[in-house]
Amino acid sequence: MGLIRAVFDASFRQGSARLKPVGPRWPLLLFHVDTGGCGGCGMELEALAAGGYDMQGAGFGFASTPQGADVLLITGALTYAMAPVLEAAWKAMPTPKGVICVGNCAIDGGLFPENYTIMGGLNRKVHINLRIKGCPPTPQEVLDGLCSLFGQRAPAAAYAGASSSSTSS
Amino acid sequence: MDVVAHIHAGQPTETPWRFQLDEMAWRDLVEGLKHDSLPFVGLWCDGVAVHALFMPHGTQPLAASLMLEGGRYPALSPARAVSSLYERMIFDLYGAEAMWATDVRPLVDHDVWAETMPLAAAPGGAGSNKTMLTFQPSEAMQAAGGVTAGSGPASGGRESPLHIALALDGDVIRYAETVTGYAHRGMAQRLKTCRVEDANRLTGRYVAGACAAHQAAFCQAVEAACGESMGPEVSLLRVVVLELERVSTHLFTLAGIARQAGAVLVASRCMWFREKLLTEAAPIIGSRLMMDHCVPGGVNLRTAAAMGELCSKLAELGEEIYPDLVTLWQSYPGLSSRLVGLGVVDSALLEQVGLDGPVARAGGGDCDYRRDMRAYDGLWRFTSGRHDGAVEDRAIILLEEVGESLRMLNTAGPKLGLSAGGRIDLYYEDGEGIGMAEGPWGAVLYWVRLKDGRVEHAFVRDPAYSSLLALEAVLPGQNVADLGLIRASLGVTASALDG
Ligand code: SF4
Repeated sequence: MGLIRAVFDASFRQGSARLKPVGPRWPLLLFHVDTGGCGGCGMELEALAAGGYDMQGAGFGFASTPQGADVLLITGALTYAMAPVLEAAWKAMPTPKGVICVGNCAIDGGLFPENYTIMGGLNRKVHINLRIKGCPPTPQEVLDGLCSLFGQRAPAAAYAGASSSSTSS
Repeated sequence: MDVVAHIHAGQPTETPWRFQLDEMAWRDLVEGLKHDSLPFVGLWCDGVAVHALFMPHGTQPLAASLMLEGGRYPALSPARAVSSLYERMIFDLYGAEAMWATDVRPLVDHDVWAETMPLAAAPGGAGSNKTMLTFQPSEAMQAAGGVTAGSGPASGGRESPLHIALALDGDVIRYAETVTGYAHRGMAQRLKTCRVEDANRLTGRYVAGACAAHQAAFCQAVEAACGESMGPEVSLLRVVVLELERVSTHLFTLAGIARQAGAVLVASRCMWFREKLLTEAAPIIGSRLMMDHCVPGGVNLRTAAAMGELCSKLAELGEEIYPDLVTLWQSYPGLSSRLVGLGVVDSALLEQVGLDGPVARAGGGDCDYRRDMRAYDGLWRFTSGRHDGAVEDRAIILLEEVGESLRMLNTAGPKLGLSAGGRIDLYYEDGEGIGMAEGPWGAVLYWVRLKDGRVEHAFVRDPAYSSLLALEAVLPGQNVADLGLIRASLGVTASALDG
């Protein structure tokens, strides 16, 4: 894990806050990597992107390459097989850059703690700029979390009752 | 040779439908299977023996076991292609070698683990590879020639990690091979000697999109091992959760297909409909992805008494939105023509890879385990009438199944009334049981052995292995731009494959 620790930097919060305004005209682009979970967090991210939660309006979007991304968004409990992939994605991203963990797996392994194949999430291994807990967190919780990064409030979802406190997925 | 009779002629075990064979009888079994259509479910190892499970009639199981001799056993893959994935998994986890196997490439162990053969009596040392996995093409792929390309495991999309290596001739795929294992979490190890409740939570995280199917199958297996079966009320509540999961997963898949086919509006309508349904359902059920509602001995729902009303409400939403969605799908300019004839999984391929579920139903296969499940009496009816097996057929089947599941919810609602649900305390006796559910992509089956109040060992069958073989088989000849579309339409999910 030392290898990964060495390449993650902690400059994101200070750097990005100064260098890059956030909002619809300057969307913060997230590069998603599933590092080995059940895929539930990925499904909720897809619902966030495509299901009517004004993600773009809140100033966030998904990047299709790490080179075009500001933030590495990680789901899954981090398998040994995915660790070098994650590291390569991080290296390919321009600075300033940051790390967001979505879901308990990505934070500390969740239901999949360390074993022969799993490293057990990123907690205490790298600097994490934002942790969004849940198994999985709802799309609204993810959006609320993203907005909290810059002290914003999330726009209301297009569905009655889809508030952040309604349900855990 | 009658294969069923041959298995029955083995030595009886404490489980009435499992028989012990010796190595010669096992070899005869493999030979017999080459000329017999007995449906094969899966193969697993418990460190001491290997077990092959078949389903001769409906949901009636039949298993054959063979003690490992010198850590080896005769492979079933010469007779059942999909067995090669189970054999590769068994080798990676236990080091048990399948003799005469059709494929001996690693499946999930790529020399990166902290321990090799982690479930063997004496596990091996750590893998030596600390870098990105390098793809080693098979001889067949090398022979195919062309330009090498690949997709995954991190494509920036929201799908789970899988590498698909391609040999290309311009834009046309000549050959495709997958590298799995990126999402391997060690499920077999985690389920070993696990508390039953914890095991149930793990099965709910086997693969998102089929959480309820996995948990329903696991719970039934545990209940069967305890000699219990659930009453009609609990069974019906489970059916409601399973059907809602099917609706949600199918709409998710349809959105993915439409988006990749360039019909963004249709995709967003599918996701919007899905959100409308989940926004109604989640506060009553307690989750959006149907996790942790099927529990051993019953159900765990936030407001069970409101489930009947919820079913009616969801059916109403369906009546309001579903017909327009069908019309939109059928009439959206260019959508059908984009999907027609793509990625054909025909009946010969279905039989070869042993695939069931909606992919099979779109290729003329008449398979749906709901037909044989008592909980579906008066609810399920056979509807699929597609035979061409292309992406378009699969999409239409998924769309039709959304409508059928909503109809079932409508019928189930009044039956449930103010049903309280709940659960009974199970007394975990030592024993074996199997349970199954028709998940969104086909049959999910668990075999569980309980010992001293815990899960001693569990085996999971998910349709994912067969879908992976189908994906590799249909890609040659397809345009590389259709890769994502075809993958989505077959339900190839790394978390289900990797375990
Ligand atoms: S946190 Fe939960 S939902 Fe998310 S990937 Fe992990 S197990 Fe799945």
